[in-house]
Amino acid sequence: MQDFETLMAGSAETHGHLCPGQVVGVRMAMLGCRLIGLDEPTCHEQIKKLIVYVEMDRCTADAVAYATGVKLGRRSLKFMDYGIMAATFVNLETGKAFRVLSTEESRDLAEAYAPEIPKKHARQLEAYKRMPDSVLFRVQKVDARVKDADMPGPTRYKTKCQLCGQVIRDGREIVRNNKNICKPCSQESYFKHAREVTWPEMDWTPSNVTGITESQIERDKTDLLHIN
Amino acid sequence: MLKKIKVENAVGTQLAHDITEIRPGEFKGAAFRKGHTVCDDDICQLQKLGKNHLYLIDLGDDEIHENQAAAILARALAGDGVVWEDDPKEGKIGLHAAFDGLLKVETTSLAAFNMIDEVMCATLHNNTLVKKGEVVGATRAIPLVMKQAPVERAAAIAAQCKGTLKVKPLRKAKTGLIITGNEVFHGLIEDRFAPVLSEKIEALGSEVSGVIFTPDNQDKIVQAIKELLAGDCDLLLLSGGMSVDPDDVTRKSIRRAGAVDFNYGAAVLPGAMFLTAYIDNTPLLGIPACGLHHRTTVLDLVLPRILAGEMIGKKELSFMGHGGLCKDCQECVYPHCPFGRGL
Repeated sequence: MQDFETLMAGSAETHGHLCPGQVVGVRMAMLGCRLIGLDEPTCHEQIKKLIVYVEMDRCTADAVAYATGVKLGRRSLKFMDYGIMAATFVNLETGKAFRVLSTEESRDLAEAYAPEIPKKHARQLEAYKRMPDSVLFRVQKVDARVKDADMPGPTRYKTKCQLCGQVIRDGREIVRNNKNICKPCSQESYFKHAREVTWPEMDWTPSNVTGITESQIERDKTDLLHIN
Repeated sequence: MLKKIKVENAVGTQLAHDITEIRPGEFKGAAFRKGHTVCDDDICQLQKLGKNHLYLIDLGDDEIHENQAAAILARALAGDGVVWEDDPKEGKIGLHAAFDGLLKVETTSLAAFNMIDEVMCATLHNNTLVKKGEVVGATRAIPLVMKQAPVERAAAIAAQCKGTLKVKPLRKAKTGLIITGNEVFHGLIEDRFAPVLSEKIEALGSEVSGVIFTPDNQDKIVQAIKELLAGDCDLLLLSGGMSVDPDDVTRKSIRRAGAVDFNYGAAVLPGAMFLTAYIDNTPLLGIPACGLHHRTTVLDLVLPRILAGEMIGKKELSFMGHGGLCKDCQECVYPHCPFGRGL
């Protein structure tokens, strides 16, 4: 793992600003990885061994993700919406899992660890660097078996919502009255009253080619043949 | 896990903790010690102590008794110069000075330690002079039975900096005094500085090796500094000439003598015009005139720390501001007062 200062700099740049949450997140990641025996979580050999559950969508979550290299799209980062400043680090190879919690008392202790800094934000930032892990965190050893449907890798299972026809991946369907239905149809959705619409410039593509003609398509095909 | 039983059914069981007896103004202590096997004769006394029920303890794998917890905490809290016995009284373990010296408390670690639920440690103030055997702190777990993990986390915090409480011995300094001032040098008034300073130095176990009187003359003061340093002095105290008058040349003289780490001004009253500086690691302390008029000044706060081997610089002199105002009581009771206790 890179050293703390290097991780901090990269994390702050990726997140968009330097803040106390970045310090907590980077340190949380360093401690979590150490506890599960991964010293270089972003390297090729270790990247597939790690899953991290973050329990908050705050600055700290970004820092944990940056320092460990876990990603939502890679399914190595799991967001559990608990509103708790904690993250669980799982080593898929050994099964070891530790939940690292940021202590509430560390906020009160910032004044003791950086008394010379009058402004709260700057004081917390410096104090969280100075505190030992034992002050900044509590740690729980946990059983966190990752379900097959939550594992990284290709989609293992698909089904169709029997109400709307939407494909649902990885066992996220809800079974109601012996029917597989998607969450929106089950009313467990974050939105409501969905209705299909059209929108301006519906023919836009990233290559920004407008008014493409049949002859241009034929020309492109010929060019491709030449290249191949 | 704790199981509650009626005291009259407790015969033959062992007490889970010390039972405290308090007779106001007369006695407070353990009437029964942990582990005592309750017999018929005890029942009445236990009831008189207000005990109608007792606990039986069945510890889980991850639980510890308050006495075990207290020992874990005491071991972590005690740094160099602090001793303790694994013999908790009413769940409490006292931390004692192993020798005469200066108590140092890592107040930040102490605060962090006490923020952990169910443990506590109380200490004397940081920078208190203590005698061998004196209680400098005490610790305990609050509940009778507690989880081991938080106790060990608290212990890890306490063990930072090699212990939260330490006692540093005071070195025996060979002190040189330089008493400046034309009025004394020329015999216009009698010097009272040398006796006052000597008494303070000797009270801390050091000695005065040489005294030189000089006029307010830079050359003479520089010469006196060099002379005492060339001898066997490893601490210099310079009195007078620390103020803002044109005749006050002691500060300039200390600089001219080659002093480094020069700090003039302290956030303490009396003692705002105090000075610390170093020549080849030998401390030079410039004492303003308040040292004559007030029994207790900034010197009383700084000298023990100097003798305990601390470098006193800008930060230390500045941080004394909180609690650095002497109340100037008619009868001085220092050190049993708040002066200098802010840190």
